[in-house]
Amino acid sequence: MLLLTACGGSSPAANVQRQAGGTVTIDNESGTTWTCDFNPYNGAVNFLSFGTVYEPLVYDNLLTDKKTPYLASAYSWSSDNKTLTVTIRSGVQWSDGQPFSADDVLFSFQLLKKNSSLDLQSAWSLLSDVQEQGTDKIVFTFQSAAVPDFYQVAAQTPIVPKHIWSTLSDPTAAVPKPVGTGPFTMSDCTPQNIKYLKNPTYWQKGLPYIQEVDYPAFTDNDPANQFLAAGNADWGGQFIPNIQTYYLNKDKTHNHYWFPPIDNINIWINQTRPLLSDKAVRQAMAFGIDRSKVSQNGEYGYEPAGNQTGVLTPTFSSWVDQSQLNKYGYKFDPNKAAQVLQAAGYTKGSDGIYADSSGKRLSFDIISISGYTDWTASLQVVAQNLKSMGIEIKEHDLNQNDYANDLYTGNYQLAYGSLSTSPGPSPFYELRNTLDSQTTADIGQIAGGDYERYKNPSVDALFDQFAASTDSAKQHQLMSQIQKSMLEDVPVIPVTEGVAWYEYSTKSIGGWPTQSDPFSAPAPWNLPDWGVTLIHLYKTS
Amino acid sequence: MSLNLVADQSRVAAPVGSRSRVLGNLARALVSNRKALTGLAVLVIFALVALLAPVIAPYPPQADLFGQILPPSAQHLLGTTGNGQDIFSQLLWGTRQSLVIAILAGAAATVISVIVGVTAAYLGGIPDHVLNLFTDVFLVIPTLPLMIVIAAYARSGGVFVIILVIVITGWSYGARQLRSQALSLRKREFLEAARVRGERNVYIILAEILPNMTSLIVANFLGAAVYAVLAAAGLQFLGLGDPNDLSWGTMLFWAENNGALLAGSPWWAIAPGLCIALLGGAFALVNYAFDEIGNPALRPVRRRRQ
Amino acid sequence: MTYLIRRLEFFAITLWAALTMNFIIPRVMPGSPAEAMLVRFHGRASPQTIRTIEIALGFHTDESLLQQYGEYLWNMAHLNLGTSLTFFPSSVGKAIMVGLPWTVGLVGLSTVIAFVLGTLVGMLSAWRRGGILDGALPTVFIMVSAFPYFWIALVAILIFSFTLNWFPLGFGYDLHQHIELSWDFIGNAIWHGFLPALTIVITSIGGWILTMRNTMITTLAEDYVKMARAKGLSPVRIMFMYAGRNAILPNLTGFAMSLGFVISGAILVEIVFNYPGLGYMLLQAVNNEDFALMQGLFLLITVAVLVAVLLADFLTALLDPRTRAAD
Repeated sequence: MLLLTACGGSSPAANVQRQAGGTVTIDNESGTTWTCDFNPYNGAVNFLSFGTVYEPLVYDNLLTDKKTPYLASAYSWSSDNKTLTVTIRSGVQWSDGQPFSADDVLFSFQLLKKNSSLDLQSAWSLLSDVQEQGTDKIVFTFQSAAVPDFYQVAAQTPIVPKHIWSTLSDPTAAVPKPVGTGPFTMSDCTPQNIKYLKNPTYWQKGLPYIQEVDYPAFTDNDPANQFLAAGNADWGGQFIPNIQTYYLNKDKTHNHYWFPPIDNINIWINQTRPLLSDKAVRQAMAFGIDRSKVSQNGEYGYEPAGNQTGVLTPTFSSWVDQSQLNKYGYKFDPNKAAQVLQAAGYTKGSDGIYADSSGKRLSFDIISISGYTDWTASLQVVAQNLKSMGIEIKEHDLNQNDYANDLYTGNYQLAYGSLSTSPGPSPFYELRNTLDSQTTADIGQIAGGDYERYKNPSVDALFDQFAASTDSAKQHQLMSQIQKSMLEDVPVIPVTEGVAWYEYSTKSIGGWPTQSDPFSAPAPWNLPDWGVTLIHLYKTS
Repeated sequence: MSLNLVADQSRVAAPVGSRSRVLGNLARALVSNRKALTGLAVLVIFALVALLAPVIAPYPPQADLFGQILPPSAQHLLGTTGNGQDIFSQLLWGTRQSLVIAILAGAAATVISVIVGVTAAYLGGIPDHVLNLFTDVFLVIPTLPLMIVIAAYARSGGVFVIILVIVITGWSYGARQLRSQALSLRKREFLEAARVRGERNVYIILAEILPNMTSLIVANFLGAAVYAVLAAAGLQFLGLGDPNDLSWGTMLFWAENNGALLAGSPWWAIAPGLCIALLGGAFALVNYAFDEIGNPALRPVRRRRQ
Repeated sequence: MTYLIRRLEFFAITLWAALTMNFIIPRVMPGSPAEAMLVRFHGRASPQTIRTIEIALGFHTDESLLQQYGEYLWNMAHLNLGTSLTFFPSSVGKAIMVGLPWTVGLVGLSTVIAFVLGTLVGMLSAWRRGGILDGALPTVFIMVSAFPYFWIALVAILIFSFTLNWFPLGFGYDLHQHIELSWDFIGNAIWHGFLPALTIVITSIGGWILTMRNTMITTLAEDYVKMARAKGLSPVRIMFMYAGRNAILPNLTGFAMSLGFVISGAILVEIVFNYPGLGYMLLQAVNNEDFALMQGLFLLITVAVLVAVLLADFLTALLDPRTRAAD
């Protein structure tokens, strides 16, 4: 039995007296004006309530995988790692004064079972049953041993009050006045701005310090960046071009940023297409791309170069199998790329592009999302790299829906982008959804992961073993074997690492997460981390 | 957006014999008009730049050879982009596509305007009624949204989709204008004479009506070109063009996406905007001069000293 | 009377054409609401889930096209615009109503200002032929009108909002304010709207000045104006009541159309200024393949243009008997 207390690292040190009061203004381009809907199960608006108003059972830090009990005061796995028993915290109140209980937790999960469109984390594709045990325990039974799935169920599912939600005729409808257990309550909403106020009866006593949070709506990146650079907001969450000039220089003492990597931006390689099904072609491409230059020219260096193991660095550096990575190399090396191709029987044509023995040229289309200029700029570098080495790629920009449809159904040769599922607190989550053929589907069918249709039963088995283990050493050893398949088979090419965009000003607010104290994933759109960030913040002047 | 919002019926020319004489007169009139001269001079300069871009541009425009966001210097007159490309070279090369869009889209829209407008006026009756209604429908259908929809769906088509969109949304105004002028020509004696001679409709339209409308047709082309310059810039700015194309509109798109004005490379945004205004303004100046030539009353008068 | 019937016929047919186009576009273009839903569910939604939501959004894919068309016209006639995908679960009507006042207020007002001011300046410039105004104006405004207005907006923000701090950065009113009928709020809204309005006025006023100047010059040469002068009527009266009134008539339709295009013309200004109107909503609708929202906005724009044009036509007919007789 693993027991946890509320005094874990994710709560601000309770003995330090902070001045109460102050306002934090968030600056995060969302693309719409506010609809004033705070339904935590609506994927388009859940970022406005999950973390501040609604809370999960356990807070699991996306960057460090450190778990802090929230609405659960303790939890334990059964010996076969298929059953999770959660003890519900006592003394918690809903913001309308009603007491919080295990009934609310049970109700929330039953609600998701009944309304699959609300189940954003697909919790019920993992669970087989949820039962109440006594008055303060909930027992989750998983379909198979599923230690990592704890994250989706306990850490990513918001709990709602039964006494309100059981009376709603349509749980998908808008929730204009949310009632939650979180540190803030929604006090006022206009299409332009949402105002949150401190929840005076919050269960973490003395928190939050901040009295008010403002969340203005930005429909486009540039106005949002101007607003932040002008000093009108404290906390930013988007890409800022040339941040040194644009943001830092505007207030050198107070403006800061930190962009920790949270997922990979890959070249997805459709394994079912001719030529691309040849490992040599994929390996050659991995050698032929100058990832640092892509990172520098496409992303101003803010999104660091990726590595072929698919394990994010520095976020998950402890998981990287450095010796294997060194063995395979995959440093930018056009000569090596040419050797690989020639060894596999490809010859360079008069146009400078390699072709196989039947004359089929290594020329591919790559799909990207229109309007993502950083990707377009990145692909310009990739295309130049590969062209000079002897492979031709042509970019096709699609709108988001068409892009997603082509990617999920496997209707592409190459695709640039990241997984659409939310990342997780260890490399397991992203790599499973990238490589495990149990997540994929036939060409033409919609795949939830493994968009490149990589099929390797021994790798699939590695993920199952990982999921059944709570032993860190064993998990690391399994992760090494998974990395080997990334290096040997090159199912996808991680080019750069997507980051949590995070800019902050210490002018009037302190207590921000930093690289040396990563107590939460720092972007305002990291859920539910933003709620954790907010309870650490305090007024400095 | 268009300068000549009002159907100007004052520009009905007298019947003339040969097309070359019409053009000769026009040319002479243009050269003696200061606005026209200025506009033409700017157009000629841009045309030269477009032609000579490979020679005069110091660097390949798309190659990311340099440091990012370098300030203007002797090596980079306007600095470099966020992707390390030379802005001045991009500006010179971008002239090509911007000019091509203006001329092609302007010309194609004018051709449709002429066909619909003149046919309607000449045929009269039911065909006129139908064509007129057709024109009116296109006139009131919201242009920019329609452009966005078409451009969004035909995205990978690049510059030709942009031209197509501009033509579809840009011909109706001119058709209306041309129809009203052609209507006033219809009853003229020289057309009656042609009909009595038993000439075919196509011949009458091509050989008798059109030469007498040259001035308005050219003016229409110029107006459509102004519209094309601004519309293309707007579409590309919204990211509805091909971002790998090189034109002033796409430069603005990239500049906006890289926050150029605040991120330390203001010329990335300012220079293409100025060029768009100069090109549009040049077409508009020549167009306005046409108004003055067609309607002498509009010419500037110099006040006598008192 | 024939004139009136003709205009009504035009009104009906155009409305029908626009409605039908509205119906066809989403059905012939690639992409479907099902695809759009996939993006929302990151590819993990079951076919049943998608089906449930499609029905909630009002898409019944197994009906015949004709059935769908009939249903669509019926819904449009009852202003039942469906559910927006972007603002799910809000209805399209509700989403539009949130943005409408802002767009109409900002772009509508600045269009009227540009027209009134432009017409007055054009009139004056024609009246005082050869004056400084008349000599310099055409060239200046030809050039100003050729600037892309979003570009002027970008530069204006940089100078007046960001650097000089004279005007607020973005938004339609102060973040902490509520929409209410108070001087405080109205003043604040005007202050926020000033810069966007200014860029619209600057780039559109030139057209009105030049057309008004040109028609006015032609009108001034007419006999009845000469008559009025000979009769010794006051110049102001001649300028406004005789020449001005008649010169403005041909511009009315143009003005009406530009009023109707208020919503669509505002897209770029609203995006650049982060203004809470309909313009960016339209772009969102297109990018998200939110057909219900797109159709709602198109309907609104078309009806607005048609009503404005119709009003202008009747006004012209009322003021100028010649139109009624002419074609």
